[in-house]
Amino acid sequence: MVGLTVSKVRSVPQPRPSVWKTTRDLVRAAGGGLFIGLPLLFTMEMWAHSFLLPSWKIVLLLGVAFVVVVGYNAVSGFRRDRTWRELLIDSVETMGIAAVVSAVALLLLGRIGVETGLRDAIGKIALEMIPVAFGVSLAASQFASEAGAGEAEDQGSSVGDGAGVGPFGRLFIAGGAALLFALNIAPTEEPMLLGIEAEWWQVLLVVPATLAMTFVIVFLADFRGGRSLAVGESPLDYPAIETLAAYAVSLLVSLLLLWAFGRTDGASWSAIVGQMIMLAVVASFGAAAGRLLVGGGQDKQQQEAS
Amino acid sequence: MRQNWLEWVVLGISAAAVIGLVGFLLVDGVTDEARPPVPVVELQMDAAYDVPGGWILPATVTNDGDRAAEALVLRATATVGGAEEESETSIDFLPAGTDVEISFGFSGQPEGDVTVSTVGFRLP
Repeated sequence: MVGLTVSKVRSVPQPRPSVWKTTRDLVRAAGGGLFIGLPLLFTMEMWAHSFLLPSWKIVLLLGVAFVVVVGYNAVSGFRRDRTWRELLIDSVETMGIAAVVSAVALLLLGRIGVETGLRDAIGKIALEMIPVAFGVSLAASQFASEAGAGEAEDQGSSVGDGAGVGPFGRLFIAGGAALLFALNIAPTEEPMLLGIEAEWWQVLLVVPATLAMTFVIVFLADFRGGRSLAVGESPLDYPAIETLAAYAVSLLVSLLLLWAFGRTDGASWSAIVGQMIMLAVVASFGAAAGRLLVGGGQDKQQQEAS
Repeated sequence: MRQNWLEWVVLGISAAAVIGLVGFLLVDGVTDEARPPVPVVELQMDAAYDVPGGWILPATVTNDGDRAAEALVLRATATVGGAEEESETSIDFLPAGTDVEISFGFSGQPEGDVTVSTVGFRLP
């Protein structure tokens, strides 16, 4: 959590929000949750993993998701001016809303019902609520038309004001986004097939290809939120080092997911490395997207202006 | 911090949902003995019905073990018109505690009992 600015003191007192506004926030939260969660709600492997995974693994995944949600809420979230305690409570609320949304969705999709065993149903809700929670959290900022009073000009171009995010915070967001992206692929069989069927030289070529693409996306391709090659004070602010660090985080996220979904059980080392590198392609693009989202685009804009 | 009754309701439901889910999974994780799958078939003779050229016998399959069974194959045996007949049905996944509805088909209503045996399954 290093480098994240949690409390942003606002001089203007917030007006007491009406029930109507709260309802609108809730609907947006549910909508955002479904935006991100629907692909996995429609993924067969996710339904099966609810009873294939041991309970403690699901709890561990929920814990990781919660940490990511806290991170997202810290830089965006429902309310900007809050203490650590409020941030944690807000994050529990994010998870709770996600649980309710995924439970209702699973009911409507006929994935849980009276014939479903309790453990099976709880497992499904707990797994599906992870992507939904990311969506609920993002909905608070990215999908909001008015990110807050006086902030209409940044229209969701970055998570709040990216200036408050340090290099470690950015790396954290990159990890969260990597998790969000890779989570969509990890439960399926494809990364396993890709990793196992790939020749060694293919795996070896995928690594530099991934690094090059993510480097270009963040620093050269002129995406919104992209940054210049300017070097900051922290070692992590060197574009090449940041790219490598984000890739390392992506590899770790991939390994965590492969392990969580039982893809490493009984697999050889070469199979694990192959799967990890293939899944990390997706994770790295997520990490790049996350870094674009928090931007730090200010310095680029300033540079272009001068 | 919570500024109207709806926010309090949302917070209450959220906290209950999160505590309930995590609590259940933790208790389940601690008490789980990882017993192997135990498929139990309950034939529904009352619900059996005739179809053109045959007779269909619905059944409910549950799993009394802790672990799920994958690619479960069940075989029902009965005597129809003096000859022994077999009917096989497979189930993709049989999670612990979940009911799965299946049906066995025979060429006609059997005389006497229908017996069901487990042909096999895979541990996922």
